[in-house]
Amino acid sequence: MILEQVAFASLAAVAVVTALLALLVRELVHTILWIAVFFVDLAAIYFLLSAPFLGVLQLGVYAGAVTILLLFGVMVTRKRIFSREAVTGIGPSSLALAALVVILLVAAATVVPNTEVPVRAYDVTLLSTTLFNQDGSWLLLLGLTMLGALAGAIYLVREGRE
Amino acid sequence: MTSLVPLDLLALSAALLGIGLFGILTRRNFILLLISIEIAMNAAILNFVIFGALSGGPGGVSGSAIAVVLVGLAATEVAVGLAIVLALNRLRGSINVAESATLRL
Amino acid sequence: MGDVLSLAAFAPEALVLAGALLILLLDALEVRKLELFAGISLVASFGALLLVVADLGFAPLHLLAGVPASAIDLPPTTSALWGFSSLGLIFQAVFLLATFLVSLGSLSRPSDEKGSAVFFALLLIATVGMLLAAIAADLIFLLLAIEVVGISTYLLVGYTRRDPRGLEAAMKFYIVGALSSALSFFGASLLFGAYGSTNLTVLSQATGTVGYPALALIGYALLIAGVGFKVTAVPFHAWAVDVYDGAPDDVTAFLAGGSKKVGVFAFFLVFIGPLTILDRPCASAACATPFHFAPTLQLALALLSLLTMTVGNVLALLQREMKRMLAYSSISQAGYMLLGIAIGTSPALAGATFQVFAHVFMKLGAFLVVAAVAGLGIGPLIEDWRGLGLRRPWLGVAFALMLLSLAGVPLTVGFVSKFVLFSAAVQAQGLFVWLAVAGLLNSALSVFYYARVLRVLYMESPDDAPAPTPPSSNGLPLGGLGYGRAAAIGLCAVAIVAIGVYPQPVLSAIQSAASHFALTGA
Repeated sequence: MILEQVAFASLAAVAVVTALLALLVRELVHTILWIAVFFVDLAAIYFLLSAPFLGVLQLGVYAGAVTILLLFGVMVTRKRIFSREAVTGIGPSSLALAALVVILLVAAATVVPNTEVPVRAYDVTLLSTTLFNQDGSWLLLLGLTMLGALAGAIYLVREGRE
Repeated sequence: MTSLVPLDLLALSAALLGIGLFGILTRRNFILLLISIEIAMNAAILNFVIFGALSGGPGGVSGSAIAVVLVGLAATEVAVGLAIVLALNRLRGSINVAESATLRL
Repeated sequence: MGDVLSLAAFAPEALVLAGALLILLLDALEVRKLELFAGISLVASFGALLLVVADLGFAPLHLLAGVPASAIDLPPTTSALWGFSSLGLIFQAVFLLATFLVSLGSLSRPSDEKGSAVFFALLLIATVGMLLAAIAADLIFLLLAIEVVGISTYLLVGYTRRDPRGLEAAMKFYIVGALSSALSFFGASLLFGAYGSTNLTVLSQATGTVGYPALALIGYALLIAGVGFKVTAVPFHAWAVDVYDGAPDDVTAFLAGGSKKVGVFAFFLVFIGPLTILDRPCASAACATPFHFAPTLQLALALLSLLTMTVGNVLALLQREMKRMLAYSSISQAGYMLLGIAIGTSPALAGATFQVFAHVFMKLGAFLVVAAVAGLGIGPLIEDWRGLGLRRPWLGVAFALMLLSLAGVPLTVGFVSKFVLFSAAVQAQGLFVWLAVAGLLNSALSVFYYARVLRVLYMESPDDAPAPTPPSSNGLPLGGLGYGRAAAIGLCAVAIVAIGVYPQPVLSAIQSAASHFALTGA
């Protein structure tokens, strides 16, 4: 249906533009604002793709927690909150490499059928049983990662008593 | 029921990966590097959702399941990166990778 | 699979994880004693090592075996997330050996060191990740396990939070590691899209037959890049030397001798299927006309291996600092390991696995010597080590053995691994003969810089001897070496010679495991 395609095209355009703006603006706080818009925009795309659970997760974790973490990082590491990032050169070689990756990926993606495909919604119960089958191995590994992160990160940022 | 063109979806994720790579190669402020990596990671997550939604069925759900796990993983990574940066900032007062004496990317 | 295997199959992982949790608990209770934490780490890693060796079918320990022999090297299934292979168990043993040696060496650090608890806890958590990566049968499971190792090691590099060099190295390691995981997961998503599954068996059997091969090829390319960062393969190696140089010495030993090997095993797991698909009997009508990207992948891996060993060696020649020289030589050694998977035959895999095994003693031992020598108050330059072999004969002999083994001199373990690997390359015919020649030339090249260090080690220059031995003021026994480090270095040196002279038991175990692995593929 044409409406959905227009919706997707505009959301995709917003995603690309905000991602670029986040990296190109000079004020770090503006960067955080653009990246927050980017995260919310991706959440909207997940809703469009009939994955509402992921959309909500994206809103909570990325647009919420990660954005606040990044903002916190900017505030703590900069004395003045609106300090500028020294502009670094946009090297032609890095631009070329990034462009090459995109072109290769899109070229490879042309093998998928270039017609409209119905996007199927699924039951969230099915998602949770998938997550927890095989003893929930993926989640266990994620938990292990978080254990290591917790143990080390708390130690690193804790004010030493020395 | 929604229907979309797979190529458009994949082009979006490819573009996001490209933007992330470009940022990692050109930026020197750690926060910007962190954001670039997040954009690339979001491209991967988006890809799993796309392929899951396109294929449907049990295989498709596992795409979404992987995406859920990856969202958690990416958030953990951000927390670890910020911990390292805060510790470094306390010692040195700057978080530009280019300013590190011995280490260049 | 759940009924065949009881929880006892995961006893090694559980033991190591329990050790980590116990250390964190003791830390929360304000216990600050490095010896205690190191003891827990030693017991956990050695206990797990015994369990893994028992699982491998070592007769005297059969009572400890948690994985029944019938559950090892099963024909691959298309739904499992994990499964036991004998090659995976051998890698587990190698990882545990590395953790054990690093813990032993760490005993020589000050008893009231800040952050010793977090050091050992992260070491053990990283080890759990490595153990789990070795039993992966699913791409996402594998990448997540590598991520456990990654997150723990980024923090491990920065655990001396008052040392800006360590933290800078951690920051750089983190950026590169996070980038590599993003690339790996993007590659995995393309493979998932092409074949509709992330199971490694499905991926390897589907290669080129169904789905979208072009997507899969790009997916594999991204995986080569992502995992290549982890094993310091050459276009992706630039971070390694700075990180190895900036990290605390014991952590460097663990990075080079232990955690890097996870990437090697990941290469084995991911690429053995796609590479051997053409040799395997055709199961369905679809594979009669496959899209042959196996040769492309093989060529890419062969180039990667060639570049890695050559560039690593050439740059090692130019170094003036001992730690950086060893770091570059570590990169070139990774090239030899990748040669095994590029060839993809069972003898080549055996050679690469033996190289991984030998590398623990050689490189981990060498970095422990660097740690010990730094503890003696000797500078980082190779020149600073002048005459060390004469003043500290035992340390000198141990280090000389490690260097000779790295160079591949006969009667050392390094010779055996290179011999097996290069003869496998010659057997494989074609292009690989040239790779074997390149490998031999590289080995000859590496002799130059190892010999240079040996000469410095045993050269007493009479005229401008700067009398570089400050009386060892660190108060450790054995002339400032400490029992822990001395024991770890001694173990490495003895193993290098013992296994070098009599490699048969280890080699035959590895060979049979590799042949199973090449047969079942993933």
